[in-house]
Amino acid sequence: MPESPNQTLIRLQGVTHAYSSHSAARPVLRDVSLSVEAGQSCAIVGASGSGKSTLLSLIGLLDQPTQGHLHLAGRDMTLATDGARALMRNQHIGFVFQGFNLLPRLDALDNVALPLLYRGEPRNSAREAARQQLRRVGLGERLHHRPAELSGGQRQRVAIARALVGEPQLLLADEPTGNLDGQTAQDIIELLLALNREQGVTLIIVTHDLGIARRLQRCLQVVEGCIREVVHG
Amino acid sequence: MVSTRAYGPSLAQRLSEPFDSLQRLGRRAILALLGIAVGCAAVVALLNIGHNAQRQAMAVFKGMGSDLLVADVQWPAGAHLSAQATQPFDAQAVREAEPGLRAISPLSLSSVRVSLHGRTHDALLAGVDPQVAEVLDLRLIEGRFISPYDSRSTHAVLGERLAADLAAQGMPVMPGAQLQIAGYVFQVIGVLHGIGQNPLLPLSIDDSLLIPLEGMRRLVSAPQVGTVLARTADGADPLSVAPRLQARLQTALPGRTIDVQAPQQLLAGIAQQSRLFSWLLAGLGGIALLVGGVGVMNVMLMNVSERRREIGVRMALGARPQDIAWLFLLEAVVLAVTGAAGGAVLGVGAGWLFTLLSGWADFTLAPLSLPLGIGGAVLTGLFFGLSPALSAARLQPVQALRDD
Repeated sequence: MPESPNQTLIRLQGVTHAYSSHSAARPVLRDVSLSVEAGQSCAIVGASGSGKSTLLSLIGLLDQPTQGHLHLAGRDMTLATDGARALMRNQHIGFVFQGFNLLPRLDALDNVALPLLYRGEPRNSAREAARQQLRRVGLGERLHHRPAELSGGQRQRVAIARALVGEPQLLLADEPTGNLDGQTAQDIIELLLALNREQGVTLIIVTHDLGIARRLQRCLQVVEGCIREVVHG
Repeated sequence: MVSTRAYGPSLAQRLSEPFDSLQRLGRRAILALLGIAVGCAAVVALLNIGHNAQRQAMAVFKGMGSDLLVADVQWPAGAHLSAQATQPFDAQAVREAEPGLRAISPLSLSSVRVSLHGRTHDALLAGVDPQVAEVLDLRLIEGRFISPYDSRSTHAVLGERLAADLAAQGMPVMPGAQLQIAGYVFQVIGVLHGIGQNPLLPLSIDDSLLIPLEGMRRLVSAPQVGTVLARTADGADPLSVAPRLQARLQTALPGRTIDVQAPQQLLAGIAQQSRLFSWLLAGLGGIALLVGGVGVMNVMLMNVSERRREIGVRMALGARPQDIAWLFLLEAVVLAVTGAAGGAVLGVGAGWLFTLLSGWADFTLAPLSLPLGIGGAVLTGLFFGLSPALSAARLQPVQALRDD
């Protein structure tokens, strides 16, 4: 469901995150403040271990900040329970991972239908929605193939269909082309950009590829746990 | 978009997922299932064996007659037979004095050699009162039983198996036949119907030769009453008549130790012992079930550890901790229910086979065996599946996704 422009979808205020509560533990993210408006596309770049995937996990409610506040779609999710965060992920966020993360024993259709089943949709309507979504990403002929029977590019398309089936406002992609060859990677990026452009889905991509980063509206660089906005030159 | 529908997978969806997962576990799932099945089978089989053993024991003892009283009469060790020993025992006086008694008969036993047509056979000789027919509910195949008028006659009645044994050895006996016993000629006046073995009696009536008690004097110098058999009157409680009979016999047979037993007492004791036996066997089955449960826990812990990434993905897609807990708990329950169903069939089959091979009466299902066996197995699965399921549910999505 596209949001009206200029509405803040993501807001981080003074977010710090450390993987250990030990006082000596060095925080992965330090005092990060950030706003992303609905419908924007945003790249997160940075060296390995700089904290960009951690930032994505916090935005995606897969992890909780050690300090600071996190608002998503107008709701303060800083101290939300595990159950409330799961609900929020299901209804507002779609994930695309570098390693696809499809469930190996489910076929493409059931993999894509899974978020709707967790939402409580009946199996048949969930499958119908999944079928339509797979057709949109060009996999209408591969509905009953298991991940092992699909190519890397096709698997990532299944993952994108799964991320979109719940009609999220926010699509988070962690190195979505990291495991794909040049042309396939290019196709996947085109697909994600088209979704942002045509459906107004807010897109955040973690990438090493500056070429990809340049094609998004904003670029945030994470350096040693701090972020700074990169202005495209 | 917030749906008004309840969040979380439907029941049908929740129930369908464990089967897929368990299929993937393959041989490990079968081994865990086998553990539960063996445990459940052990509980069901042992409870059924205990139950049928109890029924068998009760059937044997119920055949004794619930209104029968058996008094064991013994001289205390070291006592020397005085004049009292030869004093005749007036059973009928005891019966008349005790209104709770319907019939009474003393029993004096001796072993004799019976000759007929020049052949001999060893037999048990029982000196009885004519009332023994009423006490033990004796029926005749042919002829008649000893009557009060036979007390001075050399008349005898044969047990069914003794008559059959004699006939098998070429000595067919029918009323009117003359048996030689220790130089006396006894005339057979009747052959009894078999009554089977009664564990309370000191003899098998079917294998015995019955003569009037007075006639024992011909064959034994000082015949002793070793047992007094009595049957209570209709409506009299054998358990309250027993001590009164004991007191009266004590008076009638001075100097001797009297011990009156009522089958009801024995039945109660046997029933209690059988119940204890059944529960002991069920306990053994429970231990087998426990071992099966440890197997389930082992498989489920491995299952959770191998599927951490899947747990992370499911959580990222919207699975709440309780959805993950249900996913794994239902897998454990499916394992346990399948194992329990198989084990229940196996257990009933094993109990039936044991009953058949033991030659007991028809197999009957112990009413508690299936609920206890199946319920125990399912609860075991739940109990041992709970900890792995909760540990899966407690994972943070980011931890689970990071795991390779």
